[in-house]
Amino acid sequence: MRNTVKFVVAAACISAASSVFAVEEIDGLARTCNNCHGVNGVSVGASMPSIGGQSEAYLKQTMMQWKSGERASATMGRLIKGYSDDQIAALAKYFASKTWTPVSQKVSAAALREGKDVTERCETCHGVTGSKPDDEQTPKLHGQWAKYLELELLKYRDDGFQMAHKKMMKNARKLDEAGVMTSADYYAGQNQ
Amino acid sequence: MSQINRRDFLKTLAATSSASVLSVPAAHAAAKSKAKVVVVGGGFGGATAAKYLRMIDPGIEVTLIERNTSYTSCPLSNEVISGHRDIATLQTGYTGLRKHGVNVVHDEVVGIDPARKLVKTKSGKGFAYDSLVLSPGVDFDYAAVEGYSEAAAEKMPHAYKAGPQTLLLKKQLEAMKDGGTFIIAVPPGPFRCPPGPYERAAQVASYLKHHGKAKSKVLILDANDSFSKKGLFEQAWRELYGYGPGGMIEWVPGAADGKVVKVDAQTLTCYTGFGEHKGDVVNVIPPHHAGKVAKDLGLATFKNKWCEAKAETMESKGLADVYVIGDSCVGGDLPTNNAFPKSAHMAMTQAKVAVGAIVAKVNGLPNPVPYYVNTCYSVVAPDYGFSVVHIYKVENGTWIYVKEASGISPVTMPDKSPVPKVYRKLEAEYADGWLRNVMADAFA
Repeated sequence: MRNTVKFVVAAACISAASSVFAVEEIDGLARTCNNCHGVNGVSVGASMPSIGGQSEAYLKQTMMQWKSGERASATMGRLIKGYSDDQIAALAKYFASKTWTPVSQKVSAAALREGKDVTERCETCHGVTGSKPDDEQTPKLHGQWAKYLELELLKYRDDGFQMAHKKMMKNARKLDEAGVMTSADYYAGQNQ
Repeated sequence: MSQINRRDFLKTLAATSSASVLSVPAAHAAAKSKAKVVVVGGGFGGATAAKYLRMIDPGIEVTLIERNTSYTSCPLSNEVISGHRDIATLQTGYTGLRKHGVNVVHDEVVGIDPARKLVKTKSGKGFAYDSLVLSPGVDFDYAAVEGYSEAAAEKMPHAYKAGPQTLLLKKQLEAMKDGGTFIIAVPPGPFRCPPGPYERAAQVASYLKHHGKAKSKVLILDANDSFSKKGLFEQAWRELYGYGPGGMIEWVPGAADGKVVKVDAQTLTCYTGFGEHKGDVVNVIPPHHAGKVAKDLGLATFKNKWCEAKAETMESKGLADVYVIGDSCVGGDLPTNNAFPKSAHMAMTQAKVAVGAIVAKVNGLPNPVPYYVNTCYSVVAPDYGFSVVHIYKVENGTWIYVKEASGISPVTMPDKSPVPKVYRKLEAEYADGWLRNVMADAFA
């Protein structure tokens, strides 16, 4: 616990200075995320989500749910236990401060045509193109990697995988297999 | 001081002082460099160090010395052997680093003079440094296995440095007849990529199973009595390929005479203490040690094989201003038997710690808190992967393994029920996403 406090104090002190190394402490911590999520949270691997520019509340909630075990995960649930609650909060703030960068990727033309209809039930919470979440806990989807979105939907549709969001589980299960691919491609193909 | 010299001196002074007042990266870059850092070795560790130094402080001049003009990732190269992956997806050049302003030099280091802080190369050049980052990877101790040599590796590939050796082993596997035996000889630990040989066994079995060669065997002759992710591998082998008596994969531990001490490259025979095993394809992974550059410098002080570094900075215990990272160094929580795994991910976090320390030192700032994280995926079939993760914190100058945040993917669920397939599928997919991101994080 003492370490945690020290970390926050150090981060606060250093960010007061206006040098090129202003946020060294949190930068060092965030660099451990870069390996898999990219510099500034922009992923270049299709199965790994971009996290830079997602909302602070969404990032923090997701990490805290992994940590408590409320939300299952394949890999992150183990790693996140190595980060204090304060570090998680600082990381959420750090990556939320980055610019959301829709990634350019190949998506099916049919998905772009049909996607709006297929994702009708997603609109209320995520917005028409996935860029206008209706609350702070909801992630942006536009320009996220299609592969990642497909895998997330797979989690929500699998009885063996414990997800935290009941409404999302219900809706993901209303899609058929083709609908999963169409939705994933549709959101991936949006750049605003 | 002559008139002209004084004028130049004043000009330089003006440029330097304006840079320090402005304190912005561009000004630093335009001024004379604050410090010179030479990085030796352009693998995951060295490339990450070079890139992050430039990214964090463009005032630092960085030279990367690397023999080869392209790099092939060892991680996921076992998928090349089975045909599940094109080797091109593992390859990258050094253009990305050049874009960060790294001076990339393709040359071979022949000597380092720590007193004069100078790196000498084969082509006769000398590179002065204020700080030196050594990331030379491993070199093989061919002589440790009687009859094995660099020449013998053309018949019995190690395929433990990715590239032509990987493709050679793939070619031999493809040429193997049904009913043949594919031997993997595993050296005593520690070796790079601890789960590598066992992932390879699965990838080879996957190839055999799907190419009409299901009567063949994969025989692992192991110098060790246990291995990384053992429970997960054994479960996957059993489920996918058959393991143990009558199965496709067989593992012979050191205690059951598994250690290969001698080979015959002509007859493709492996000799253990008491037995001999003839294979149709023989993959000999020789023991290894810290890369020659670090060893020649006298830094391999741990069992005369591995380099030791300080936990806060990755600075060598032996030499000031020399940082040793990646597969060539030993570290981690040794008393609890949780050493750093020799992995790409680990090398990259070590590089970031070293960079943090160097940048702080150059700028007169306190050393930042070091963070050590590892993630390592193994893929045993296209839809079947798993991982091990490690987190270490530093307390009183030593690494502490953070047990609750580390460990392998579940072998069973907490209630002992089988792990749903979706977990394995996700981690197989994540392995590829991980690869692309680490390649970019290090090289792009």
